[in-house]
Amino acid sequence: MEFKDYYQILGVKEDADLKEIKKAYRKLALKLHPDMQPDSNSDEEFKELVEAYEVLKDPQRRAEYDELKKYGATSHDNFQPPPGWQSNNDFNGAHTGGDFSDFFNSVFGGGFNQGPRSHQADDFSGFSNHGQDAEIEVPVFLEDLFSEAPKTIQFSVPSLENGQIKHVNKTLKVKIPVGVVDSERIRLKGQGGKGQGQGRDGDLYLHIRLVPHPLFDVEGHNLVLTVPVLPWEAALGCKVEVPTLTGKISLNIKPNSQTGQKLRVKGKGLKMKTGVGDMIAVLKIVIPNTSSDEDNVLWQQLAELKHDDPRSQWSKENG
Amino acid sequence: MVDTLLVISFEELCQVERLNQELIVEVIDYGIAEPVSGDDKNDWMFDTSSVRWVKKAITLYSQLELDWVAVAMIVELLKQKEKLTEENEYLHRRLTRF
Repeated sequence: MEFKDYYQILGVKEDADLKEIKKAYRKLALKLHPDMQPDSNSDEEFKELVEAYEVLKDPQRRAEYDELKKYGATSHDNFQPPPGWQSNNDFNGAHTGGDFSDFFNSVFGGGFNQGPRSHQADDFSGFSNHGQDAEIEVPVFLEDLFSEAPKTIQFSVPSLENGQIKHVNKTLKVKIPVGVVDSERIRLKGQGGKGQGQGRDGDLYLHIRLVPHPLFDVEGHNLVLTVPVLPWEAALGCKVEVPTLTGKISLNIKPNSQTGQKLRVKGKGLKMKTGVGDMIAVLKIVIPNTSSDEDNVLWQQLAELKHDDPRSQWSKENG
Repeated sequence: MVDTLLVISFEELCQVERLNQELIVEVIDYGIAEPVSGDDKNDWMFDTSSVRWVKKAITLYSQLELDWVAVAMIVELLKQKEKLTEENEYLHRRLTRF
């Protein structure tokens, strides 16, 4: 495994005091924290940074690391702790987001004992550990929300076996609960990482992501459908056949309808825990892309008639 | 078929990060997670997003060495940011329809 140069990661000299280490860490943490840059790949860099700080801020751990550095700094990618190496400073990463490197775990144990800033309940000490929770994104089509058929989910969960983290592949059949909305998380109890000793297995969370639909947008449990209508349909009123997720319906458009006008169709939205949401049809007046001579004659006739000025508000506001 | 849940009990929430109950109560007092039902802490149930926010709060508290007031503020701002991002994406989608 690779020897990690924690001083280099923090950008401090080997004789840096705690104040300098803290200062460097805070500066870099602000820059690299995943919440500051959710779209970047700073996750790994941030983890390395936290790991480096966990070691260098603790005098005893730092002293051990310095010893090892003399021994391992030239080993590059082939570092192994010296035979019989044992840290006096077993570390618990549970509350630091403790996802540390193999290097860290081999040097400092990465065990499950109490560590700094720890708030563990007594009955979870020792070798009883709750298995790791896992979360996966599950793309769901709107049509799936009306289906009774279960969804097949494939995923892998980290599992600790003989001190090594291994990924175990799993396949589950899951019925998406009625009423689920975009971004909601569904909990599958005990389907995460394997627990240690008396600790229970972790949970799996399915992060529901509704796949954008070519026709419908989703607003809570309501579906929003944009309905293109021709100018004369909007002016005179008409009946338009519109799609819903469960079949077509006839929509009554009243005379003198406007672009952006909303028509609510009860019970044609997404299923809720009790009841069904609505469909909101939003009118969009569309001028045909091409017009014939005959069309133009008729438009001209319309133009010559007296109408309300659609820009009258402008002249009022401008005095 | 696997059973699905949309809630987690107080006791289970404590087990997630191996935290003692007093600390979780403190996190709840700061509004980082709020029970969706139950009058007494033994009956409290939380929605599944609470797990994520509690984990996030604990990570922030430990990694950035912040106090709980600062953590609660950050979590609240992150929640607001997430909501606004979703709203923004929705409005962008709606605009492309016109």
